[in-house]
Formats: sequence, structure tokens, C-alpha cells
Amino acid sequence: MVDYNPYEMIAYTGSMVLEDNTIVFVGTGLPIIAAMHAQRTHAPKLLMIYEAGSLAPILELGLPLSVGDTRAFTKACFVKGLCGVFELTQRGVADYAFIGGAQVDKYGNVNSTMLGQDYSKQETRFPGSGGAGAMAANCEKTIIIVPLERRRFVEKVDFITSVGYGDGSPDYREKAGVMGAGPYRVITHQALFGFDETTRRMNLLEIAPGLKPDDIQNKVGFELIVPKEVETMKEPTAEDLRLLREIDLEGYFLGRKINR
Amino acid sequence: MAERAWSKIKNISEVKPIERKFEWWGPSPEEARKNLVSKPKGLRDKGTSLKEAVKRYVRDGINLGIGGFVNTRIPVAAIHEIIRQGAKDLTLSFQSESLTAEWLAGAMILDENHVSIKRAEIAWWAYEVIGLAPMLRYLAKNGMIELDDYTNYGMAARFKAGAMGLPFIPTRDHGGTDMETTNRGTMIKCPFTGRNVYLVPACYPDVGIIHVQGADKYGNCRIFGPLCTCPEIASAAVNTIVTAEKILSEESIRQYPNLTEIPFPMTDAVVHQPFGGYPGAVYGFYWFDMKHIRMFREICEEFRKTGNKDKLEEYYNRYIFECETPDEFINKIPPEDRQEAIKSDGGQPVIL
Repeated sequence: MVDYNPYEMIAYTGSMVLEDNTIVFVGTGLPIIAAMHAQRTHAPKLLMIYEAGSLAPILELGLPLSVGDTRAFTKACFVKGLCGVFELTQRGVADYAFIGGAQVDKYGNVNSTMLGQDYSKQETRFPGSGGAGAMAANCEKTIIIVPLERRRFVEKVDFITSVGYGDGSPDYREKAGVMGAGPYRVITHQALFGFDETTRRMNLLEIAPGLKPDDIQNKVGFELIVPKEVETMKEPTAEDLRLLREIDLEGYFLGRKINR
Repeated sequence: MAERAWSKIKNISEVKPIERKFEWWGPSPEEARKNLVSKPKGLRDKGTSLKEAVKRYVRDGINLGIGGFVNTRIPVAAIHEIIRQGAKDLTLSFQSESLTAEWLAGAMILDENHVSIKRAEIAWWAYEVIGLAPMLRYLAKNGMIELDDYTNYGMAARFKAGAMGLPFIPTRDHGGTDMETTNRGTMIKCPFTGRNVYLVPACYPDVGIIHVQGADKYGNCRIFGPLCTCPEIASAAVNTIVTAEKILSEESIRQYPNLTEIPFPMTDAVVHQPFGGYPGAVYGFYWFDMKHIRMFREICEEFRKTGNKDKLEEYYNRYIFECETPDEFINKIPPEDRQEAIKSDGGQPVIL
């Protein structure tokens, strides 16, 4: 068995979730690494959108450190600004949003704005929506990365930054005035989650080898839907790891640790 | 008649909704138009020094629109000059910024009687790969800044509405999130489809500060790589200060008019400022100086954790207050770091 860290597992799983011949709107870090890995393996015709304004770049200078990085703009088919790419997205160009966040609830609502109840005195201020709120609203499917910890998989997020299925009601997104279908996958290093079609609640799709559904439920602060049969997550091969590490040569994103 | 509407957001999250009575955080559309109409429209030489430009347009209490995106093509030289001259009760407006906003916030923490931020209408404020923004965290936690959150598209669309002379623009985001329960936008029932659609108010800054690759003396600007929201900010702002890596000839502008991203009527001051976006990246010129960016963030983070301002003060004295001009700041950066930043751009193709 090959040795990989949680970030490598997340990036690899993200790659596996993406499909060929689609367009993914990527956030900084692991989403870009996942998309680059997918392009180099099973999805050579996967294309990326970067929110500062590029569509379908060829990343020949290496891994962009920012979604406005020069590296995200080399040999693109189309370069404008934020309005350019977000308007394409609002129109329906982006198949996937690939975002991160600090908290997620059972309906896939994501917080990346703040902790606390008082907006005018924010206990912990995070960066804010950035592109995520618009991506989760208007890309067709949203893929979310949140570290698998109880304080992050919560019954109620402190602030909804990126809309999921709201309170779970069937017309929540319609009443919110957003266009995309909504949350599709939540990726962690030990479990892959999806959403139940009728209740729109998070369900367990796959778990890492050697773990049981209870191990995952213990790290989640709300009740998960657990089907009778849960698949085992596919692990990266030595070749996948070589590729991933080659993509993040400087170790900016794959080197960090997750609190267990 | 459009009807006020709501999404179904209620008791889904912990944060308490806030009621804001709508007010413009800068000029109204009518004021912005009146101001533009009153300007002489002929081509005129707008070349000046940064010192003069900031002195002329930046005042206490203005809405300052900051160009660029995170640390890409950010108006570093203009921000440093504003900090040197001082400006109080600022409203900041931008989609995503990092160093520029942190520098202003740090100056406020050092001396509130010299620089202060009253409020910020924004989508994102942090350092991406390097981490959260220590100065924003400090101001937000202590209730020292009023915030108004939108998405990146929301802020870009708000500037675009300003650039179009509109009072608002409909978007397909914000609804169903706590931006709907806290920001100054509003949901309505669309008068045509009968479905909910979210309106965000236009944003007209008093002053826009933009760094570009090339501009002529009349203020026609060329931008390569990400446009960010610079064309929209320049057009929405009552006055726009442009710093440019290179000054172009009128002949060049007229030879390739399709390349003009900001037309001359939307700019008021043009400053030739090589390295004007450093230590941020400028496509075709230089990449990030991650070393300097990290150094400044670490100093801020140390202040946030300990409350000790010594290193912060030292940084501001050395890199901002003791520099008479932006060139002096650049000369304090080790030449090998600048060379590395130039090399890392990989010579991206620009037409200048």
C-alpha cells in the first residue's frame, strides 16, 4: 500500500469526481490540483474557469497560487475579468463549482464568512464569499471540500455564504433566485458524501479503507444518511501520488496537516 | 411594479439578521453622473505625480474603490501614497483584496488620526494560500469596521452597474444566504417572470485606484492578463487615478483601439510608475514576491496575537513613511527578489 496524506487523498478523490468534457470553476488550492490531476489522467478534455477572468488556460507555468495568478492565465482561450467569467457561469457554462469552506451543514450550505451570531462584531472573521457564493449559486453542480471534523460538519452553520439546499425544502433554491442544481459531493480524506435526492440531505457514499460508517458519523455533528452498502474510497496509486506531488512541486497545498 | 420578496432563509444559520436602511456609501448615480457631465471632455494631458494625484482627489470620508484582485495587479504605489498623506473615515469598496486592504487597516491600527476605515463593501479579504487577514480579523472582532458582504460577482456587478449609470443590477446569487439577511441588496419578484431575483445596489466610488500595464497621457488604458474589475471600477468612480508600468504613445493607442480597456473620459490622473503593483504580480512584468508578502503578514499576525505594535511600526516606517516616492520602496526590496519576480512571470505576451 502506498503512503499518502489527507490532502493527497482529497485531491485524488476530487479528481475522480470530475468528468471529461466538462468545465469546472475552480477555487484556489486543492480544487486546482484535483482538476490538473484529472486532466493528466482520466479527463484530458476537462477545462477550468478562474474567477479573475480566464477560461480554459493551459497551465504551463505550473500550479497557480491564486485564482488571479498569472499562472492561471497562460494560453487561455478567453481572458476578461470577473464579470466576463461569472456572467458565462450565470448563463450556464460551468458544470461544476469546486469550492472549500470552514463549515458545512447537512443540506450542503457552506460558511466561509464568519463565526459568531453578531455580524457587527464577528468572533472570527474568515475571508468572505469571494467567488464561492456565486459559484455555488450558478455552476450546475457544487463540489465542496471541508476537513472532516465535528466543529465543521455542523447542524447549523454560523453564516451561510454559499447556498446549498437551504432548509431542505424542494423550492429553496428556486425561491433563492439561483440557477444551479446545487450541492453534488462533499469531499474529505476519509469519506465521500453525496445528497439524497428526495430529502436533499447529506448521505455517505464512500469511506476510506479500514473505516466503518460509525467512524465517520462520529466526526459529523448531524445525522448522516447511511445506506446499507457503502463503497470503499479508491486510493491513489504510486503514479497518482507522483503526479500530484509534481503538480504541487512547492508543497503549498499538499503539505499541510488536518486536525484529527 | 416590482414587489419585495424573500427567499426561504430563516433560522437556518446562527447569525442574526440585521436591518439596514438603504443609503449610498458613496455618490448616488445622479451625483456621479453630474460630476462626469461637468468634466471637460477634450483629450488632455493627465500626466502627474502620484503625490499630486492623491493630494488632489483623496479626501477624508470618501469611498475608495481598489482595483486588482487579491494580490494581482493591485495599486500598491497609490495605497502607499494614501497612507503617507493620510485619509480618515474611508469606505473601501472592492471584490477581493489582500495587501492593499491590510496595509490600510494596519495604518489605522498604528494611528487612527492619520488613516481610518469606517466601513468596507466587499466580497473577500485575505491572503489565499498564505492564510486569513490578521488586520481584518482584528478590526472585525473589535467592531471597529462596518462590513457589507457580497459575492465576487456581486461586487463586480455592482461596479458594472455603476459603469452603466444604473442604480442597481439583478444577479442570480446572494439569495438564500446570509448575505441576503445582512447586506444592502434586496430580493424582488421579477416583474416579467414572477420569480425571485436578487438586486444589488450599484457601487460608485468617489475615487478609483487602478494599476495597469500601459496607458497614454490622456488616460486610455491597456490591460493584459486578468482584467479583474478594473474597467468597471474606473468607469464607476467619480475620479480615477491610474498608475502604469509603461506610458504609451497616442499613436499606439490609435493603432490598436480594440485593446483599450479603459477609455480616456473615465480617468483623471495618469502616473508612470514601474513596479507600481509590486510585491503583487503584474502579468507580463513580474510575479508575486511571496517573501515580502509573507513577511508583512507575519508581522500583522504577531500584532493580532500579542497586541505589540513595535514590528508593525518598524515595517511602516521603513517601507512606507520613510519613502518619499514609490521608487524608494522598490529600491528597498533586495534586487535578487525583484529579479526572481521578473523571471517568474515567464515573459507573458503583452502588446505595449
